[in-house]
Amino acid sequence: MSPIHRAPAALKLGICLALILGLAALPAEHTLWGLCALPALLLVCALARLQFKSLLLRLALAAPFLLGVASLSLLQPHGLEASLGLLIKSAICLFTLQLLASTTPLSELVQTLRRLYVPELLCEVIALLSRYSSLLVDEARRMRRARTGRTLSTSRWLLWSALGNSIGLLFVRTVSRAERVQVAMRSRGGA
Amino acid sequence: MHIPDGFLSARVALGYAALSSLGIGLACYRLRVQRQHGASALLGVSAAFVFAAQLVNFPVAPGTSGHLVGSALAAVLLGLPGALVVMTAVIIMQCFVFADGGVFALGANVFNMGLVGCVVGFCCYRLLCGSAPSPTRRVASVAFAAWCATVAGAASCAGQLSLSGAARLPVVLPAMLGVHALIGLGEAVISSLIVASVLRFRPDLLESSGAAPARPVASAVSAGLGLSLAVAALLAPLAYRAPDGFSRVTHALGLHSSAEPAWLGPLSQYGVPGVASVALAGVLAGCLGTLLLFGLCWLLALALVPRPPRSTQPSRVAVEASG
Repeated sequence: MSPIHRAPAALKLGICLALILGLAALPAEHTLWGLCALPALLLVCALARLQFKSLLLRLALAAPFLLGVASLSLLQPHGLEASLGLLIKSAICLFTLQLLASTTPLSELVQTLRRLYVPELLCEVIALLSRYSSLLVDEARRMRRARTGRTLSTSRWLLWSALGNSIGLLFVRTVSRAERVQVAMRSRGGA
Repeated sequence: MHIPDGFLSARVALGYAALSSLGIGLACYRLRVQRQHGASALLGVSAAFVFAAQLVNFPVAPGTSGHLVGSALAAVLLGLPGALVVMTAVIIMQCFVFADGGVFALGANVFNMGLVGCVVGFCCYRLLCGSAPSPTRRVASVAFAAWCATVAGAASCAGQLSLSGAARLPVVLPAMLGVHALIGLGEAVISSLIVASVLRFRPDLLESSGAAPARPVASAVSAGLGLSLAVAALLAPLAYRAPDGFSRVTHALGLHSSAEPAWLGPLSQYGVPGVASVALAGVLAGCLGTLLLFGLCWLLALALVPRPPRSTQPSRVAVEASG
């Protein structure tokens, strides 16, 4: 646990938001000043002992949307500067957000959201989502493996209908799981 | 469709954040009034379901695959307020855990995929479905609603990008609409397949989700016509697009085959011959295309729903056995 991991979530979220807001408010002709934030971000990355390579890999996942919109903005007056500025800005913002995401557990963020007057129901749903998402993803993966084990034909229509069937089945199981969760919560004095 | 940070200007991002929080606040209030207990368990686990369903890839063309967004599907399965809360939770988690979509652009993302997707999907579904729908009609409405939700979300995303000056509207709107008219086809097929299988396993789940008072709607035909007109009005700006600029970029990027809405192919470049006004021709072409799509949805539903509706008992046994 590095000092960055231990820092309060509210502080990290605040700094992150302030930095991103500052970048968004930066006028287009001064975008290069945004690069000043980069050394600080790299320092945070080194202090938190994050793997630079995996951060870059996740940056690449967002690349299609970034490049698509940046290429569309080429078509306005002063297009080249505008699209380069957009690319720099959004890459720095993305890097900041990734630092936040990889050093802060979601449960702490939910606590922060609660203090920011986000409705209680939404906070509870996010908490349950983070608790159950890995479970349901595993279940979907299990069903997928079972299906590929049973399906011999590779016809496209069959593939699609099997996909739809298994997701539909996943929803049916979700509802029965939710009933169990609700009973468990109520028997422990929860909602 | 997750907008990252840096594309939206501060004004646009804050404005859409305010709009989205208003919508979410209303949805939470409705849910609290409707159900006192047990709402959070169902919604939380359903949010995990939407998250898991989004991870399942389906093949679109050789080499590429798409994935579900699921806002229309959630609206059909959970009702409008529930779907709003679920989609918001999923988008917030994607932002804070996977850095997918910006934190400052969170309001805009929730607006596009949550508010617009769920409201458009739910309204299309309700309007087309009527009060006591047959399974075929239900599945057809789900397919059409899913397509409309995807396209409407893309249009709203394009509007935000152009409002904050990232790109000009005549350029970004056709690009987003064209790509998402294709993606929406995948979304429509997979959503209707899911709903068809839920109808087979547990039809009671779909009955109870429509707990909102269903007003008697005139007929499916008039509703379909009205919706096509609305969608056509949405598509009308396509008629004004700058063909050289857009096609230059798409050709440069090698996107020219995928960026054109394939279902409008026969109506070459949105110009129906014999109609003088370009805008009118655009509206007409969009209208025809939407009607064509509605017909396709109906055919899909006919193919998915078995003609003599099977009784639910044997298939529930099958569910238990396959578990």
